[in-house]
Amino acid sequence: MILTLSLTVVGLILIGLYGLLAVRNLFKLIITLQILVKGAVLALVIAGETSGRLQLGQSLAVTVIVADTVVAVIALALAVQLKQQSGTVDVGRLDTLKG
Amino acid sequence: MTLLTLIWLPLLAAPLIYLAGRLAGRAREMALLALLAAWVPFGLLVTARGNAAASFTYGAITLQWDGLALLLTLTALGLGTTVTLYSFWQMAAEPGEEKYYAMLTALIGTMIGLGCARDLFNLWLWFEAMAVTSYLLVAFYREQPASLEAGVKYLLQSAAGSVLVLLGIALVLAETGSLDLAPLPPESSFLLRLAGGLFFIGFGVKAALVPLHTWLPDAHAQAPSGISAMLSGVVIMAGLIALLRVLTLLAGDGPIWGWLLLGFAAANITLGNLLALRQTQVKRLLAFSSLAHMGYMLLGLGVAFLLGSRAGAEGSFFHLLSHALLKGAAFLAVGAFLTIFHTFTQDHRPLLISDLAGASHRFPLVALVLSVAVLGLGGLPPLVGFMSKWQILTASFASQNGWIIALVLLAALNSVLSLAYYTPLVNTMYRHKPAAAFAQATALPISMTLPLALLALAILLLGFWPGLVQGIVNNAAGALFP
Repeated sequence: MILTLSLTVVGLILIGLYGLLAVRNLFKLIITLQILVKGAVLALVIAGETSGRLQLGQSLAVTVIVADTVVAVIALALAVQLKQQSGTVDVGRLDTLKG
Repeated sequence: MTLLTLIWLPLLAAPLIYLAGRLAGRAREMALLALLAAWVPFGLLVTARGNAAASFTYGAITLQWDGLALLLTLTALGLGTTVTLYSFWQMAAEPGEEKYYAMLTALIGTMIGLGCARDLFNLWLWFEAMAVTSYLLVAFYREQPASLEAGVKYLLQSAAGSVLVLLGIALVLAETGSLDLAPLPPESSFLLRLAGGLFFIGFGVKAALVPLHTWLPDAHAQAPSGISAMLSGVVIMAGLIALLRVLTLLAGDGPIWGWLLLGFAAANITLGNLLALRQTQVKRLLAFSSLAHMGYMLLGLGVAFLLGSRAGAEGSFFHLLSHALLKGAAFLAVGAFLTIFHTFTQDHRPLLISDLAGASHRFPLVALVLSVAVLGLGGLPPLVGFMSKWQILTASFASQNGWIIALVLLAALNSVLSLAYYTPLVNTMYRHKPAAAFAQATALPISMTLPLALLALAILLLGFWPGLVQGIVNNAAGALFP
């Protein structure tokens, strides 16, 4: 059980890291970040279970979900604003600031 | 109870400031009042506790008040109060002014909390709260694509970093079954080393360790000038302090972390200075110089971790204070010129070095403050930047290790090199004919010049009498190396 879950964590993290490098649409990038965070949440629960402190792990997981929702909301707000102001959500075109 | 008041006062004041701004247009007075009120519990804590560390338990959560918390609180509260007063006039015409003050006050509260965290998860939570407030402040000019671009870059990198920190926390919990920030028994395990690496990357994004620094110049240049001062003076330092807290946890694991800090020190000093050399925009130049100064601090801390000696850490923490003063003064002075320049041009174009031409003729005080600040950053005696760099270099030299001495020489040469981009600023302001933007400008109000004068005064005072803060600095080093 623990092994399957641990492999799921590794899978989610790898998908997330690949997505961060490959995805260019800002909305999809935010979803990619969410996949990464879900991997971390699952890792916290597993860590709680293997160290015999499941309740600690679970309470951490819930807190992370709450904290991360705030980040996702702000990221989406910025993405909407960016779409309105510059007409694109392609992060590859965010290249006016250089040097 | 005093500690809880100190942390929660700015946080609870934030929504009230927003309401006061919305309903009565009094956001700035309310923000200044809240921050001045926060000095009371701070003063009480310092007088009651003296130099002794103390921990306070509230339900399931324990917070601690030690030298490092005091240092971070003093820097955040001191620079924060100055920036709030400074913003009175500058932000007065901006739409969303009340949000600016509310987020700025909340940012200060989260940084105080970060300093007082005693377990890994609390540390992460305060760190994340600090990041959330600073995202909104960086992207404050939400009508401008450049500002949004900087905000998006900052958010994506920072959020990815904070996930890596969480994974590190999960690994530490799985290995040790505890989240306390107390040194672990000296045994190396692969998972703990992996956790340390994840912490380095995660907190390193916020602390702007090269090559994780790419968000920093954009964010510093696009944020309102008061926020640039806060980002450079305190927020990246809060990232560094979070990293140091977790490194004390892993310090039993041999010299690897000390060497890693020194490696980043070399990269930060060299790359920061070389990139600053080719900048034409004033705020970007100052942003890249923040990278170099982070490098000097990493040098002292790396030596301290490697040898277990406090001298290097004392120098670094003194440099943290002096950098906050110098960079705060520099960004605020540039911000004053930027406001004048934007009033003239009626748009939001960046301020170039050549735009500062002859600024001293019309604004002698602001030009003097900017000159003092950049020369202090370059490390000219008798300013405070010289004293703190000197302490780091002498402490590192005392290690008698060939590699470290080579690094000290690199840092000293870089310090000289940095004058090559600081002095043109002074030259342009004093020796050129005044540009049109400055010739027509009206005088600046006292709410803007007073904070600048105070910062410049502190730079001079601490340069002559570094002993004034030596107690605070020694205590902060003592919190890491008891």
